[in-house]
Amino acid sequence: MNNLAQAIWVEFLKARRSKMPLFTALGFAMVPLGGGFFMIVLKDPEMARRVGLISTKAQLTMGAADWPTYLRFLTLAVGAGGGFLFGLIASWVFGREYSDRTVKDLLALPTARFTIVLSKFIVIAIWSTAVTATTCLITLLIGTALKLPQVSSQVFLQSGVMIAAGACLTSALVTPIAFAASAWHGYLPPIGVMILAMVLAQLTNAAGWGEYFPWSVPALYVQGEDLGMVSYVIVILTSVAGLVGTLLWWEWADQAH
Amino acid sequence: MDTAIETNNLVKRYGDVTAVDGLSLRVARGEIYAFLGLNGAGKTTAIRLLLGMVKPTSGEARVLGTRIRVGEKKPWESVGYLVETPDAYPELSVRENLEAMRRLRPGAEPKAVDRVIERLGLDAYADRRAGTLSHGNAQRLGLAKALLHNPELLILDEPANGLDPAGIVEIRNLLIELAREQGVTVFMSSHILGEVSRLAKRIGIIHQGRLLQELDVDELERNRRRQLVIRTRDNQAARAVLVNTGFSADIISDGIIEMKDDMAIKRPDDIAIRLVNAGHAPTMLNVEEEDLEHYFLRLVGMEEGGAR
Repeated sequence: MNNLAQAIWVEFLKARRSKMPLFTALGFAMVPLGGGFFMIVLKDPEMARRVGLISTKAQLTMGAADWPTYLRFLTLAVGAGGGFLFGLIASWVFGREYSDRTVKDLLALPTARFTIVLSKFIVIAIWSTAVTATTCLITLLIGTALKLPQVSSQVFLQSGVMIAAGACLTSALVTPIAFAASAWHGYLPPIGVMILAMVLAQLTNAAGWGEYFPWSVPALYVQGEDLGMVSYVIVILTSVAGLVGTLLWWEWADQAH
Repeated sequence: MDTAIETNNLVKRYGDVTAVDGLSLRVARGEIYAFLGLNGAGKTTAIRLLLGMVKPTSGEARVLGTRIRVGEKKPWESVGYLVETPDAYPELSVRENLEAMRRLRPGAEPKAVDRVIERLGLDAYADRRAGTLSHGNAQRLGLAKALLHNPELLILDEPANGLDPAGIVEIRNLLIELAREQGVTVFMSSHILGEVSRLAKRIGIIHQGRLLQELDVDELERNRRRQLVIRTRDNQAARAVLVNTGFSADIISDGIIEMKDDMAIKRPDDIAIRLVNAGHAPTMLNVEEEDLEHYFLRLVGMEEGGAR
């Protein structure tokens, strides 16, 4: 691939120097921290009420203070909220070139536009994996610190597989977001697209058609719904369409910004 | 002619708006060619067409012998460019911005970054974030990105934008040196004729997307209007003397006599003798050349009423 390694290096440099990795890591870190808070509360709800951690009216329906509950909280958060955070990363990686008007410097180079787009997607994938792995690590550290009751390694393995698959499904759906950032020249329009996708996901879920709407599928998957192959195919097709659309857009569309 | 840039009847339309209308031009290798036009004349669109950033509606462009198509890769290792504003990644330092660009240009050697920093006088700002640079230094960074890989062809959109007078002279000398000593072709746009006439060998004047005129700088000198302006103690009487001897003379708004006859412009001493003999000795007599801005505005049909 024509100069791909160097293009990835450049994308990492841009990401490293920005505050975005910190913001996305902090955003994802809220999940284990929030889960840890509920573990403390669930361990001793009366103590939590006494010291004011929760209101006396709080209804605690989350479950028990144990690893399965904590890991389930993490899994649901990755499946439902991961899409937004990964989409935010894609919006920034692609949209900033338009918002900062630097895209023109990437269009007439010996490094092909195809390579530049591919390097951006690779960086998004690595970045998304890193924040997910960091979140899992923080979860394990907090759970250990809270001395949650021991469970078999099978529980961790199952949760790990589910989180990894959920993260794959959500991160696969960033390609249409990257296309929106490119086609509408900035990082605000794709955020609008993401919000729209999430609202539609809620609506299609409520209507019972969630398994056919790509942005509903990851959340349904982590909830343990029995999804047919068609749901996964829809996610893959959406991802491929976003990827091809972004590549074609960079390669063929008029770049007048 | 060994051409660096060649366009044939290049047209670019955005809906009903024709940004570039039948542009045909040739730029020889090693030449400094200025592309002159008012804001919105189509200069930047023409540059984007040359760089393959937008597709022509019709016509074609060739850069360093390669026909430009959207997504074309071939000539870019030999082309440096600056389009519109000199934008950079604001959170990266000057050096990092250049390093990023160097890595995307596989032929550029690692020490090219330090070399171009020194050449553009950016040493003091090398480790400063690009987002904190003044407009002039941001322009220097934009030019540094264009020059980083020692290109054969430089395509520069308003390269003097934002530079102070000393910076303008410095960049002008740099471009002249590159063209003269390294044979670099420079295609630059500008809206200031005075600036480009000191730099370019050929000038193309674009207005409303059309190339109005292409001329050498020498031709430009010949095409500029000249007039003889005279002031006497009694301008009305002096004018009558001149008209009675067969010249055309007008009194223009600020109370001086203006003569456009070739004879008067070539031999102002004869005019002075006639006026002295008639008892209206000139208190001022001067052959004035139309300034470049007025020449340009006249050419694009935007001459002011009172402009000389």
